[in-house]
Amino acid sequence: MLDEISGAAVFTGERSRAGYRLNRMAMSLTDPANREAFVADETGYLRGIGLNDVEADLVRRRDWKGMIEAGGNIYLIIKIAGALGIALYEVGAHTAGMSLEQFMAQRKGR
Amino acid sequence: MGRIVGGIGSSHAPSFGPVYDKGQQKDPMWAPLFDGYVPVRAWLEGLRPDLFIIVYNDHGNQFFFDAYPTFALGASEAYPQADEGWGKRDLPDMRGDPDFSWHLARSLVEDEFDPTICQEMSVDHGVMSFMPMLTDTRWPVPIVPFAVNVIQHPVPKARRLYKLGQAFRRAVESYPKDIRVVVFGTGGLSHQLQGTRFGFTDPNWDNEFLDRLETDPEPLAGLSHRDYMERGGTEGIEMINWLPMRAALGPAVRRIGRTYHAPMITGYGLLALEPA
Repeated sequence: MLDEISGAAVFTGERSRAGYRLNRMAMSLTDPANREAFVADETGYLRGIGLNDVEADLVRRRDWKGMIEAGGNIYLIIKIAGALGIALYEVGAHTAGMSLEQFMAQRKGR
Repeated sequence: MGRIVGGIGSSHAPSFGPVYDKGQQKDPMWAPLFDGYVPVRAWLEGLRPDLFIIVYNDHGNQFFFDAYPTFALGASEAYPQADEGWGKRDLPDMRGDPDFSWHLARSLVEDEFDPTICQEMSVDHGVMSFMPMLTDTRWPVPIVPFAVNVIQHPVPKARRLYKLGQAFRRAVESYPKDIRVVVFGTGGLSHQLQGTRFGFTDPNWDNEFLDRLETDPEPLAGLSHRDYMERGGTEGIEMINWLPMRAALGPAVRRIGRTYHAPMITGYGLLALEPA
């Protein structure tokens, strides 16, 4: 099975297994009350929902690329961004190793 | 007996909905796309459809990886909108037709397709984003949502989805009531939401796909997931959701409408066909 294609993670069963807790936390943010609790006390929320220190740290550092590498699914990870008011472009650019500004500049150049 | 009277392929995207809700269809960035939906909507209304079968994919909203179904068939009276993590749009629940859903379940299982049957089911932008462009949002026509796993690999093969469309046709034609059914396939077109190629679209591939889907679809069922993901991006694998729509129509089709526009990070496509 393909694990990566053209520089992007293919969300395999192996990745899904590795990222299960992270994705489950992201899924919990489909509930508005959970979003509120997460934003009010990030560290407490992440601990309460069972993330380990490494996973919680990825979230706290907004390390989107790291979250994908740890098994985060892009459709779930953007729920974390959404709760924090961070747009998809910023997340995507980060996974590509760029800042949002770099990404937008690169697109303008096309 | 039921009859399949039309097929529509459409992209879906979270970006669509809010643009539509704000009435920005004439915004220069979006008009080339939204304009394409106008004649297709008029044609669809003229078909006087009784039911929509919508092949789509969920994005971690109704389903999670605790138990992710490969195929899931809605069999509910109503399909509320899922909160995807940023609140809901102001849209009523979509209406269902559980009688037809259970007929479809029996017919599919007879045909050796075994979907998870959902008597409670919310639908996300996979359904809700483009449907307001094609029908009144009081949802006069009931729907049967059919979710395909295209986000957690292994995902079903393109050929499996092609055969699924043929099975839809047998199910519709074996229904005792004289209903007029339109089949939808939604996803893609090319897009890549993460990795070094983030933001990638390929209008050439998207248009080739639209050409081939209309005139010679069967070989598209023979393409591998690698083919789809290399040419259309990892998330572009959603394009296989269009295959059941096309297969359900039978070999010969007439094109009613086609639009393509790629203003952001997704190739948006619309294709409306009817059996010739």
